[in-house]
Amino acid sequence: MNVIEAAGLGKRYRRSWALRDASLAVPAGHVVALVGPNGAGKTTLLHLAVGLTAPTAGRVTVLGGVVPGTPAALDQIAFVAQDAPLYRNLSVADMLHLTRNLNRRWDQRRAEARLAELAIPLRRKVGRLSGGQQAQLALTLALARRPALLVLDEPLSSLDPLARHDFMASVMAAVAEDGVSVVLSSHVLADLERVADYLILLSAGQVQVAGEVDDLLAGHRMLAGPAEAAGDVAERLAVVHVHRAGALAHLLVRSNGAAEPAPSGWESSPVGLEELVLAYLREPGAGALPGPSARATQDSGVPA
Amino acid sequence: MTAVATPAPPVGGPRPVPWAKLAWVTWRQHRVALAGVAVLLGGLGLYLLIMRVRIHGAYLAVASCHPAGSAACEVTGRPFSSYYHTAQDMTAILQVIPVLVGVFVGAPLAARELETGTFRFAWTQGCGRLRWAVAKLVLLAIAVTAAAGAFSLLFSWYYQPFFAERFDGVLAPQLFALRGVDFAAWTLAAFAIGAVAGVLIKRTVPAIVASLAIWTGLALATALFLRKHYQASLLTRGSPGYSNPPWVFGQWYTGPNGAPVGQQTIRNVVAHAPESVQNSTNPNAVTAYLTAHHYTQWSTYHPESRFWHFQFIEGGWLLVLSLALLAATIWLVRRRAA
Repeated sequence: MNVIEAAGLGKRYRRSWALRDASLAVPAGHVVALVGPNGAGKTTLLHLAVGLTAPTAGRVTVLGGVVPGTPAALDQIAFVAQDAPLYRNLSVADMLHLTRNLNRRWDQRRAEARLAELAIPLRRKVGRLSGGQQAQLALTLALARRPALLVLDEPLSSLDPLARHDFMASVMAAVAEDGVSVVLSSHVLADLERVADYLILLSAGQVQVAGEVDDLLAGHRMLAGPAEAAGDVAERLAVVHVHRAGALAHLLVRSNGAAEPAPSGWESSPVGLEELVLAYLREPGAGALPGPSARATQDSGVPA
Repeated sequence: MTAVATPAPPVGGPRPVPWAKLAWVTWRQHRVALAGVAVLLGGLGLYLLIMRVRIHGAYLAVASCHPAGSAACEVTGRPFSSYYHTAQDMTAILQVIPVLVGVFVGAPLAARELETGTFRFAWTQGCGRLRWAVAKLVLLAIAVTAAAGAFSLLFSWYYQPFFAERFDGVLAPQLFALRGVDFAAWTLAAFAIGAVAGVLIKRTVPAIVASLAIWTGLALATALFLRKHYQASLLTRGSPGYSNPPWVFGQWYTGPNGAPVGQQTIRNVVAHAPESVQNSTNPNAVTAYLTAHHYTQWSTYHPESRFWHFQFIEGGWLLVLSLALLAATIWLVRRRAA
C-alpha cells in the first residue's frame, strides 16, 4: 500500500505554481523525509495529502486510494502543522479533552502516559509551555489518535537542538511501537538524515528525487579525477553534477553499484546523503525518479 | 521496518464523530463569548425586570385616574412620564444589542482559527471540517437566537404599560425591531453576517468591524426604506388619529384644484385665518378652517393591526438571509484552500 500517491499533482496560488506536475508513490512503513529549500512546495504537498487544500491539477490519494480530507482519510491520518498550532488559552488537559471529542479514535491512556513521561503538567495553559513542550504536546495529540500515517510539517524548525533530539526520539519510539508510517518535512536535511529511510527531494515545485535512501546511496557514486577529462566521463556515464576545484573535478554519477569499475585515472567513492541532495539541488534539471512514480500513474489509471 | 497492515475502511467511511462530542467542543471554545452574552442580556434583563415592577404602581395610578386629561391626573401621571423617558433611553441602547451579540459570537468563529493558524489543527481532526462547521454554526446560532428571543419577550412585557397608555404605537420604528420575532431575527442575521465575514476576511477584528458596518447599514435601510413597503399603505383624508397609534410615514396637503401644495402655502393660508382659529387650543379648528378653504390633508399609514404581519415578513426574510449566509459559510469552510 502507498501512504501517499500523486499523479500529475499541481497546486497554483493565484498566478504561481507552488507544486507542479508532481508524481510520486510513498510506500507504507517508512519514515519519509520530504526535503527541499524554502518555498519548494513541501507544505503545499503535505496540505494536499492531509486534505487541507485541494489540487489545481492532477490527483492525490492516501492510504491506498483514499481521497484526502474524506472521513476515512481524516480518521487515519494525524497531521502536525508547522509551528504546531494549538489553542493557547486552553490547558493541556482541555486540549486532550478537545482532541478526544474531535476524533472517533482516541487513546487517553497513551496520551496521559506520554505527557507524564515528558513531565508536561496537565493543568498548565498550552500558551505557557515551551516551544519544545508544545511540539511534544502536538505530537502526543497526533499519536493518541492511533493514526496509520503521521504527517509532520517542519516539526523541528522552531526547536533547540536538545528539543529536536527528544522530538525525533519520540517519533522513532512511536514508529517502533506501532509501525506508523511517517512523513516529515524539513529544509534542513541533517535533521532527518539519521532517521529517514525514504527521501523525497522537492525543488521549485517539482519532485526531483524520490526513493529509498539505501537505493539512492547505492545508485550513486562520487568520482574524483582530472578536470580536463571530466567531459569524456560525462559522455560515458550519467553525471548528475560536476564540481570543479582547480585541476580536480568531483562528479556525482549514477551507477549500478560499487562493483562497477571506475574509469582509469578516476577514484570512486560512495556518496553521502547530504552530498547527494546538495548535488541535485545545484542541478534543478537533473532528476532521480525511480519506478514508483511511473507506477503511480499506471495504478491510478488517471492520465497526468 | 515492516509495512503496516491497515484495514481498509468500511464502505461509506467510519462512523462519524457524535454531535454530542462536537457540542462539548463548541461549548468549551465559545463559553467565554456565551458567558459575555449571558452577562450582557442578563444584566439588561434584570434592569428591565426591576424597572417594570416599579413602573407598575405608577401605571396603575395613571390608569385609574379620572377624568383623564385633568390637571389632577396630569400631576398623578408625572412619575409614569418620567419612567417613559427612561424607557426611551433604554430603547435607544437596545438597538445595538442584536449586532453586539451576533457579531461578537459569529465573527471570531472561523476568523480566529484562520488568524492563529489553528484551523490546520481543527480541520485535520477525525470529525472533518464539515461536521465541525455545522456543529459550531448551528449550536451557536440557536444559542444567540434563543437568548435574544427570550430577552425581547421580557422587553415587550416591560414596555406594555406605555403601549397601553398610547405613548407609542407598536409599529414605531424604534420599537418594532425590539419585539416580536424581529429582535431574535436581527440577532441571528448579525451572527450569520459575522460568521461569513470571518471566513472571508480571515482576521477577527476586521471581520467584526465589517460585520458591524454591514449589519448597521442593513438595519437602517430596512427601517427607513424597506419596512413600509411590506404591504400597500393605507391612504386617508386628514390624520389617521392617535387613539390607536398607527405608523404614519407620509403627510401632505392638496389645494383647491386637487394638486399637492407645499408647507409654505399652508402656513400662508393659516396666517390669514382669524385670531380665534390661530389661537385655538383645539387642533381641529385649524383643520376645519383649512377644509373650509378647500385644503385637504392626506396621510399614508399602516394600521397597528399589521404588526404581526410585518413581524413575520421581516423575520421571514431575515431567516432566509441568515440561513443562506450560514450555508455560504459552511461552503466556504469546505472549499477554502489553506
